[in-house]
Amino acid sequence: MKQISVFVENQPGSLMRVTSALNEAKVNIRAAASFDTPEFGILRLVVDQPVKAKEYLTSKGFVVRVQDVIGAELKDEKGNLNQMLKILAEGNISIGYIYSFVIRENRAPVMVFHSDDNEKARGVLKEAGILLVDDEEL
Amino acid sequence: MIWAKEETLPRAEIEKIQLEKLRQTVAYIYEKVEPYRKKMDAAKVKPEDIRTLEDLRKLPFTYKSDFKDNYPFGLFAVDKKELVRYHASSGTTGKPTVVGYTRHDLDVWLNNVARIACMGGATADDVAQISFGYGTFTGALGLHGGLEKIGASVIPMSSGNTNKQIMFIQDMGVTLLVATPSYALHLGEQIRERGIDPKKDLRMHIGLFGGEGMTEPMRDEMHRVWGDQFICTQNYGMSELCGPGVSGECTELCGMHVNEDWFIPEIIDPETEEVLPPGEHGELVVTCLGKEALPLVRYRTGDLTKLMYEPCKCGRTTCRMENLSGRADDMLVIRGVNVFPTQIEEVLFKIEEIGPHYEILVERKNRLDVMTISVELIDDRLLDSYASLSKLEQRIKSALKAQLGLATQIKLVGPNSLQRFEGKAKRVTDLRKDGL
Ligand SMILES: [Zn+2]
Repeated sequence: MKQISVFVENQPGSLMRVTSALNEAKVNIRAAASFDTPEFGILRLVVDQPVKAKEYLTSKGFVVRVQDVIGAELKDEKGNLNQMLKILAEGNISIGYIYSFVIRENRAPVMVFHSDDNEKARGVLKEAGILLVDDEEL
Repeated sequence: MIWAKEETLPRAEIEKIQLEKLRQTVAYIYEKVEPYRKKMDAAKVKPEDIRTLEDLRKLPFTYKSDFKDNYPFGLFAVDKKELVRYHASSGTTGKPTVVGYTRHDLDVWLNNVARIACMGGATADDVAQISFGYGTFTGALGLHGGLEKIGASVIPMSSGNTNKQIMFIQDMGVTLLVATPSYALHLGEQIRERGIDPKKDLRMHIGLFGGEGMTEPMRDEMHRVWGDQFICTQNYGMSELCGPGVSGECTELCGMHVNEDWFIPEIIDPETEEVLPPGEHGELVVTCLGKEALPLVRYRTGDLTKLMYEPCKCGRTTCRMENLSGRADDMLVIRGVNVFPTQIEEVLFKIEEIGPHYEILVERKNRLDVMTISVELIDDRLLDSYASLSKLEQRIKSALKAQLGLATQIKLVGPNSLQRFEGKAKRVTDLRKDGL
């Protein structure tokens, strides 16, 4: 699955400027995460059309990076996130960051994460029977 | 105390000394320094054309760029083996402005600094702490040598390490502080924060300040922080001219007395380059007299001031320079260090991940200068992780540190978020008001 990362400054309205640009481009946001540092932030988004999103945002003067991340579907049961993280830990895979879908329209929740070895992570999760989500399903 | 009899001569005698030394100096540079000879030939002026002090105006100016164009030794008039000292200050780009001294030059220099120390009230009884950074800058070693000449005890503390500064001030009974005025305020406040009252608990009573201008509000603040016994004067110089020792305030506090038997000051209109009459405000141009290693004629200092020729209550007859009111160019003084935006630009242009536009913000926080440089991020590869962005910030900071000798703050901003300029860019915002 693809994620877009957008460079944002720490000031009022900077996240909103990204989301409203995506609205203009009719790109739908499925998941969002941002972490703050004193000076700047990286806004990470999963959208339904990452290529179009990058093109449009770049034309509006944003710095945008498209990256490979993993989307793993969680059955809506207790302990499932823990279960998934345990599989990754046992595979000796370290997770850079993790966030979850904001919109899923009655389907099971999806966790988005980036690790030091995405290929291996996909392998161990599939082996454990965890459903991975593709861009097409967004 | 007045250190030298040359400080109190009638004007006619000062001018007689100046003319004699000027004629020698001009003959000397024409013979020894090729770039001067070429400039004088181009201006069709020969050494024998200098018959009066007015004739100084016939000579071409010397610019900071002449140091760059003739780096490192092109402006020197003596063989390198005659030199006993090098110093250096900021250049407008990567290479510093390098200056050199013969043994005689050092002696003249330090005697001029001794005069300035006396103007500020220093005597052989003083214990002087030098809190300028040592190294290639002229400030620390200049005041160090000048104070030794008058017989004061000198502590070569250097800058930073506030705890150690305070310990020495207390334990050694320091009476005289050499520092930038902003650092002196910072240090004074740190002393107060430790519950020490400088007036009651310390022996400190003289401040000799330089490296940056001291405004009147700063001087008032200095008395509030250090106590009313603290006599605060400032002095002026730059490494090209010798270092400190060009001029200094006496305790009458009515301008900085120029050591006129060694320096001829002129004030010009920086745009038209015309010499302005006494009392007018403009760019200071200085001709050094009798310098052996690095003679300097009509040097464009870039500093804006005016000259006052009325004799002073202190007994000195030498002319006085008013507090500097700014710069004719875009040079900044950050923590006593001269910084040219072109130096910063040169560093930034070599870093591919950022765009060519930048902005410089200068503020004074906790009495000390903070310079923040905003640059536009253009390389999306850095968005893979925060670590890559932080690494870029660190890389820019260390490249600037290597170039400027100063710590800076870096602010990464999005592309196209900095202002674009048509024609001359205004990239510097200086928020320091009255130096406070
Ligand atoms: Zn005086």
